[in-house]
Amino acid sequence: MKTLMGLGAAALLAMACAPSAAGQERTAVKQGFDLRSQSGKRVLVFKPKVSVGSQSTGAMFEPNAEWTEQAKRNIEAALTEHQASLGNTVVEAPDASGEKALLVEEYVNLFDAVSQAVVNYQFFVGNRLPTKKRDNKTGVFEWSLGEGVRDLPGADTADYALFIYNKDAYGSTGRKLLQIAALLGPGIAVKSGEHKGAAGLVDLRTGDLLWLNADFAMGGDVREADGAQKRVRQLLEGFPGSVADQQTASAQ
Amino acid sequence: MMLSALGVIGAILMAGAAPQSKTRTAPPPPPFQGVYQPQGVDEIGLWKVDDENESKLSNSRAVIHDEALTAYVKNVLCSAVGNDRCNSVRVYIVREPSFNATMSPNGTMRVFSGLLLRVRSEAELAAVLGHEFGHFERRHTLERFKAQRRGTDLLSWAAVLSSFNNNPYARRSFDDLELSVYGSLLRFNRDNEREADLVGLGYLNVSALRPQAAARVWQNLMAETEASAVAKGMKRPRFDRVAYFASHPPEGERAAYLGALALPEAADRPDGADRYRQAMGPWTPVFLKDQIGLNDFGGSEYLINSLASDGWTSTLWFHRGELFRARGGQRDLVHAADFYSQAIALDPLYADAYRGLGLAMIKTARPTEGRAALARYLELKPEADDRAMIELTTASLN
Repeated sequence: MKTLMGLGAAALLAMACAPSAAGQERTAVKQGFDLRSQSGKRVLVFKPKVSVGSQSTGAMFEPNAEWTEQAKRNIEAALTEHQASLGNTVVEAPDASGEKALLVEEYVNLFDAVSQAVVNYQFFVGNRLPTKKRDNKTGVFEWSLGEGVRDLPGADTADYALFIYNKDAYGSTGRKLLQIAALLGPGIAVKSGEHKGAAGLVDLRTGDLLWLNADFAMGGDVREADGAQKRVRQLLEGFPGSVADQQTASAQ
Repeated sequence: MMLSALGVIGAILMAGAAPQSKTRTAPPPPPFQGVYQPQGVDEIGLWKVDDENESKLSNSRAVIHDEALTAYVKNVLCSAVGNDRCNSVRVYIVREPSFNATMSPNGTMRVFSGLLLRVRSEAELAAVLGHEFGHFERRHTLERFKAQRRGTDLLSWAAVLSSFNNNPYARRSFDDLELSVYGSLLRFNRDNEREADLVGLGYLNVSALRPQAAARVWQNLMAETEASAVAKGMKRPRFDRVAYFASHPPEGERAAYLGALALPEAADRPDGADRYRQAMGPWTPVFLKDQIGLNDFGGSEYLINSLASDGWTSTLWFHRGELFRARGGQRDLVHAADFYSQAIALDPLYADAYRGLGLAMIKTARPTEGRAALARYLELKPEADDRAMIELTTASLN
């Protein structure tokens, strides 16, 4: 009989001393999709997946319940504020039960799988699928969760669904000391802390993925209200209809 | 904790040399202290993650959402650990054909359908569930988390410090340390398992069920593993040795000490086999179908035969037919046709058995009988999903 904890120690050690990956961030919008600022859309938000904790000296994730709760509240508040500034209304997904709850769970998982696929096979050079190789910001950003999204609870009351994933591991004191020792001694770069996030917008009529932003090196301390606002701005960087997006769009 | 578990094993080994009655059996559980709450940042954090996993689990299609089945399994747990303790547990039956059950920090118990197919009585099920409850009560997940953290912390420092110089000896001593840290973590896990075995058996000894059933679980599993290996043409497995990466003690050792720890006077208690068989009745075909999908001929054949030790039923004959037809050699197909016929003899309205019979006969040069069997299948099951395919098959025989 196995309990939850598998032995991931080997993998963790491998991570512990790997050179730190450079900050990775990408945004893409489906071709032809245009959301004007202040167009008064309704955005259905499914319970954001948020986990916050520390990173042990050996790079294990140490979940922290208090930080997670705090971050969840902060992020949700910042999200509502951010969308209001774009002229959109955030609709909290209704609490589902029974068959509907199974459906929500399936779509949240499907979104995770699809956004992972985008990150792995389109966003970064090296792993791109042959069909996703052209300029991924215009021609070939074509991903969908399928029309079944119409059956999601609350789908009939909103235009888009927003899915959010966020994970923070703050480097522990031990981890920071290790980082310093590794740098001063053999000159190995040890990464302290991990701050990953992704956000995606889905059309509630077609199921098409309209916009996706993934960022594996984010700023803003989500445990504080100010930090969470900064985080949400980063998570939603390039969100259609935001000013920053129009600037980057015109720069290309 | 680890020391006490080792002490027990030592005691068992010694007891074998100098038999004496009282001290050999597993101690009864301590009085119920009330449901415990998580304490400290680590444990509260683990519970929080676990709470979220549980809410995902409760909305998962991998779970069999059947109130009667879930309530039955929960009752078996309660009959082992007592109502007070079992109130802190939520049971989920996961549709997954392997032999497993897990218990996580907040009291979520996952029972795999493969376990339900393999155990033969309430006492055997209670032995496994009591073991899982032992992990929960002794907070093993938290202990393992901390042990793993200590180990990886140590190795991270060792990795950085040993890379201060390029001496090959430094490299080698790091490798040695790495092996010994992982080895001790794995041994720690095995000691956790032994402790949970001891706690689980303590419950069974004071329950109304037969504690000797615990050893049976492992004896049956060994027999199945052996049957599976033989059918695959592999070397006979050894059940007496600890592999470096083993997460659990060897099955032979578990069967031996569990047998020794069971209260001898309790050997004639009921084991609830009849009630168990009745409760699993509607589910056995579902679980057998999943099992056959594993493509483990020897293991599945062993399971079907051991289920048939209480008498062959149409369900068992049918699934044996499916198993042989899936392997698909010519001799297998002849056997399969025979097994389907046995199923039909017991239940003349068993539509799927006619389907299997027909398909097996067509492939063994008996097309006329095969076509008749398939026609009977469609007659009994006019709405069959595969109607078009079956009609195409019979049409091609002309």
